[in-house]
Amino acid sequence: MKKTKLGEFEEFVLLTVIVLQEEAYGVMIKKELEERLKQQLSVGSIQSALKRMEDKGFLTSEFGEATPKRGGKRKRIYAATSYAHKVLAEIKEIRAGLWASMPKFGTP
Amino acid sequence: MKHLNNKYPPKWPLQLLRWIIKKEYLEEIEGDMEEIFQDDLEQFSAGKARRKYTIGVLKLIRPNIIKSVFNFHPFISLDMLSHHLKLIFRNIKRYKSSFLINLIGLSTGLACVLFIFLWVTDELSKDKFHDKDDRLYQVMHNLPQVDEILTIEPTPGILAKALEEDFPEVEAAAVVSASFGDEEVKGIISNEELQFKASEMYVSKNFFEVFSYQLLTGNSEDVLTDKNAVLISDEIAKKLFGNTKNIIGKSINWDEGRLSGLFTITGIFKKPPAQSTQQFDVLFSYQKMFEEYERLHSWRNSDPSTFVLLKEGVQLESFNEKLKKYSIEKSMAANKRKTPENSSIFFLQKFSDRYLKGNYENGQIAGGRISYVRLFSMIALFILIIACINFMNLSTAKATRRLKEIGVKKVIGASRKSLINQFLLESLLLTFLSLLLAIGLVMFFLPNFNVITGKELGLNFSMSLISKILLISLLTGLLAGSYPALYLSRFKPVSIFKGKINASIGEIWARRGLVVFQFVVSIVLIVAVTVVYKQIEYINNKNLGFNKDNIITFPREGNLDDEMDSFLEEIKNIPGVIEASSFGHDLVGDYGGTTGLAWPGKEPDEVIRFANLEVDYDLIKLLGFEIKKGRTFSKDFGTEESTIIFNESAIEAMGLEEPVGQTIKLWGKDRQIVGVVKDFHFESLYEDVGPCFFQCYPGLNEILVKIRAGNEAETIAGIKKLYTKFTAGLPFEYRFLDEDFETLYAAENRVAILSRYFAGIAILISCLGLFGLASFTAERRLKEIGIRKILGSSNFSIVQLLSKDFSAMVLIAILIALPISYLLTRNWIQSFAYRIDLEWWFFVGAGLLTMLIAWSTVALQTYKAARINPVQCLKEE
Repeated sequence: MKKTKLGEFEEFVLLTVIVLQEEAYGVMIKKELEERLKQQLSVGSIQSALKRMEDKGFLTSEFGEATPKRGGKRKRIYAATSYAHKVLAEIKEIRAGLWASMPKFGTP
Repeated sequence: MKHLNNKYPPKWPLQLLRWIIKKEYLEEIEGDMEEIFQDDLEQFSAGKARRKYTIGVLKLIRPNIIKSVFNFHPFISLDMLSHHLKLIFRNIKRYKSSFLINLIGLSTGLACVLFIFLWVTDELSKDKFHDKDDRLYQVMHNLPQVDEILTIEPTPGILAKALEEDFPEVEAAAVVSASFGDEEVKGIISNEELQFKASEMYVSKNFFEVFSYQLLTGNSEDVLTDKNAVLISDEIAKKLFGNTKNIIGKSINWDEGRLSGLFTITGIFKKPPAQSTQQFDVLFSYQKMFEEYERLHSWRNSDPSTFVLLKEGVQLESFNEKLKKYSIEKSMAANKRKTPENSSIFFLQKFSDRYLKGNYENGQIAGGRISYVRLFSMIALFILIIACINFMNLSTAKATRRLKEIGVKKVIGASRKSLINQFLLESLLLTFLSLLLAIGLVMFFLPNFNVITGKELGLNFSMSLISKILLISLLTGLLAGSYPALYLSRFKPVSIFKGKINASIGEIWARRGLVVFQFVVSIVLIVAVTVVYKQIEYINNKNLGFNKDNIITFPREGNLDDEMDSFLEEIKNIPGVIEASSFGHDLVGDYGGTTGLAWPGKEPDEVIRFANLEVDYDLIKLLGFEIKKGRTFSKDFGTEESTIIFNESAIEAMGLEEPVGQTIKLWGKDRQIVGVVKDFHFESLYEDVGPCFFQCYPGLNEILVKIRAGNEAETIAGIKKLYTKFTAGLPFEYRFLDEDFETLYAAENRVAILSRYFAGIAILISCLGLFGLASFTAERRLKEIGIRKILGSSNFSIVQLLSKDFSAMVLIAILIALPISYLLTRNWIQSFAYRIDLEWWFFVGAGLLTMLIAWSTVALQTYKAARINPVQCLKEE
């Protein structure tokens, strides 16, 4: 957990990629996240996060099909690397540990 | 066709996207954007989808998605940049004089542009601050005269209400009866001991709905409901009460003629900003005035101004058509006329346009201050171009010096593009250096500029100002640098090293053409300045038909109202006072007019508007009007209630023979003509003398005192003492009458002074360029001069040889400039009814002056070159 440097927004995007499986390309990721976060996102912010994570080795990608709706341009399908899975699991564990050791308050 | 296009994303954002996104990401991202756009098209309107697309593209600008800045342009690569900069600084160091010439030229040029920019921005922003500016109109009033249509502001006092009731297009109509603008008559506002002068407006209830003046305390809807309500400005509040808190409901005393009395403060407003042409300290309810004055209830009298707020989407032209019909109906009914001729016609003009377009010709809007705005924008542009031309000429003329540099670079493999970049960078760098200097100059001279223009301009570096200044400088740099960059980068290395570079005929002509252009502009400016100056001088010294010297004037105020008689009598006893009287107006064009005169032999449909001048006894004598026939008003004849005096134009217009002794009717009452006054200029000299009459009433608004020249200060001190005694300590504010006349032509005076400076700067910059060019030519022809001297040429013939070229250019410039300047000045001067003739020497003089300045600029350089010792310039090589 030293050199992972996975930002909060990046983590959301990464998880969405995993959830979407074969459907994980720019537009779908944006739609899915907008629905879950209940806020408007720009293509720029999603793409920027994707490219960053690709550089860091969390994601791999390859070209998918082209549709007429996209003006004949191919999609790029993203997939999480095993390294990403590992880091996500680590994060979850650390969080769970922290939650568990939180002193109970509020509830009687 | 447009619908088809809507299926595709907007063009330029798409191009931007393709240009900025990294190549390897482009296909994916463009596809994503397209898909989202298509989705949006199904959900939203085409316009909204396109807007979202554009915003989306702009949000794509993120460092890891777009191409690296350093890959954009070869010249921004850091190595090349530092290389270019090094060369530029070396060049500056080596050719200090041409660098200085360019720096001085460009910085003064840019400073002029900045000044004019500030001035123009301020002029254009007048009255634009109202929230509903785009729908806010003033009702203007066209009055048909004998041979023209007069356009005035006053409208009937019941017009606003009628418009609101009869026109569904009108959202609101406000009445404002006011001491507008710079009118001097003020009332006195007082709270117990404290009293101050204040300018007031009587406004209808919806004033704050129509205009966007800021109300600090009070509810904008009901502050003016009570007819005894008063609103005061924060400034007056602080003066009267020391603060702006807890004064609602307090009473103040107001003293101005019939509307004096006790009023209750219902609100405080922020003093109108400087951008407002309406300036007021106190606001009263129009209702109060309406009830007091019977004449406001009729369609036949015009007094207050009316402002209209149209509903959204109402077309002005069709509304004005409708209003025209409406006003003819009203006018015919009110005057019981059967024909539509001679009817008053109302029309709407956008309120914020009135400041710049306040002149009217025959009922049509005919320019105004806007012409000065245009004029100065043109001057700014020309001065900047002149400065740019200097840069172009000097850099292309100096091309020979840099040929080797260019040749070597090209041989090593420099592309033309990189050379162009280098020269553009050079001009941009110079422009931005000049900009810094220009900003310094502007800061330094801004106070002087403000004095001349009568404005309070400041250099506040807002984002919009900075971006505009930067844009102007960028354009200047590109303009100045583009020609040299293209020219210098074109040379072929082979011909450079063979020494075969001869400037082609075309290039030489281009350079000469540019110099000629510079001088054409300078000469036109010089002629214009001369003509403006002469015309202003003529106006200031024109015999107006009365004597305005040594007369001081101040308003009748405070307790003076009741004791005018004894006040005037006592003033006359002060040593040094020649005469004292009072006047119902000021002398620079605030007159009521009336058509309500009847005279023997008047045609039933004849309408002549007479200016109505109300004067006290002895005023005609005081102002030195020349009596042609009969007598003036005098106390020796008792009350002069049923007498009248006309000017010659009026007698002529009425066609009366032997006028003195005849009886005419004014507003239905008999008046006997007792005198005729020689015509005099009672309005601006833009206008011809019109018909007017005098009536005599004792104790009027403006007090005029004629004093003996010599010990004015002592006499005025005496008057002040008396004034203070009578008014219980009001501050004594007087003006000299001739100053009033100067303010009448203030706009012209300002233009005259400003254009003098700008003309001076234009010629200075032109000469700088000529100086640079001359020194360069002399330097290049040094060897030729040396050989000529050895062969026996005299110094004089060499000077002649060198200045021949320049003389020819300036001569051509003179030939081109004179007709242009003649046309321009003739045009301007024709707007005056009384004007100077355009003398031939204005033009020849300007030409000679330019020639002289050009020669003396060149002479220094050529003489230096001519005196050189031939050995020195021939020993090398």
